[in-house]
Amino acid sequence: MVWRGREGDDERAVGARIEALRNDINTSTSDGLGAVAHATQIGSYFTENMVIELGEGTSPIHGRDTLIGIAARLQTRTAAFRLELDDVSVEMVPGGRAADVLLTASFVRRVASTGEESRDAREFSLVCEKDAGTWRIARVTAIDTLR
Amino acid sequence: MTLTRRIVFGRNPRRTLVRVLVLAVISFVTFGWVLIPVRAEGISMQPTFASGSLHFVSRVAYRYRRPFRGDVIAIKLAGPHVLYVKRIIALPGERIAFIKGQVFVNGAALAEPYVRDRRLWDVPEVQLTAREYFVVGDNRGMRASDHDFGRVDVSRIIGKLLF
Repeated sequence: MVWRGREGDDERAVGARIEALRNDINTSTSDGLGAVAHATQIGSYFTENMVIELGEGTSPIHGRDTLIGIAARLQTRTAAFRLELDDVSVEMVPGGRAADVLLTASFVRRVASTGEESRDAREFSLVCEKDAGTWRIARVTAIDTLR
Repeated sequence: MTLTRRIVFGRNPRRTLVRVLVLAVISFVTFGWVLIPVRAEGISMQPTFASGSLHFVSRVAYRYRRPFRGDVIAIKLAGPHVLYVKRIIALPGERIAFIKGQVFVNGAALAEPYVRDRRLWDVPEVQLTAREYFVVGDNRGMRASDHDFGRVDVSRIIGKLLF
């Protein structure tokens, strides 16, 4: 809409990028070459020096190449999950080159024995950066809602 | 045709429209800000709440009083659309520990009639701040590592489960 400024457009762009990442994660493949291509596609949503911190008890993931390797290896396991994102809020950092994102990610898995879905929800904080006109995720930090 | 119209619109269509609008506004306000419908997913609150069961969260329950021990509450994550549902077992300022599955608050064993099955959880004593509650699900038959529980800031509590 005309009255919305540039910041509003950027917020929408960041939100759309995160939604696209969710769609790509949920579009799974398990054959060898397809898995590598899929992992590379997921990696393209992140900056080269990205960091993922999943909290206590896990080592942080440093760098896009490491993430692509992990994503390719875990393809068969992650294919069993569906990712849902809720309550995504985007706040631009002054200057417009970065954005802080807060969201709830749910990993939904269907239990084969009962047919019921099990959901593991966690809150994440993301830092996104604009790189050559494209928004990419530079940092993902899991937030401990219960400590 | 006349009978059908009368059944759908009533004897006075304008009055029926007003009633429908009033009902819509009341429902919108009630289920948007006062009573939030939530569907339980997962097993952490069993046997009190079965996975898939429907409940209502009162957002006004804590407007005039603080949460009590034993209250089942809704806790927000990044927003109000995905919530944790847990039971309060310790209040701000208290000390809490699990020793072989038994909860101790300020050193005294806590009676928990809602817990049916207990694994031997051990959690070192935690001192809560003035803004923190300690929450946990009723299903203690799970492994502690598979169960989300712990301290929660009062700002994350959005209401009390009514039923």
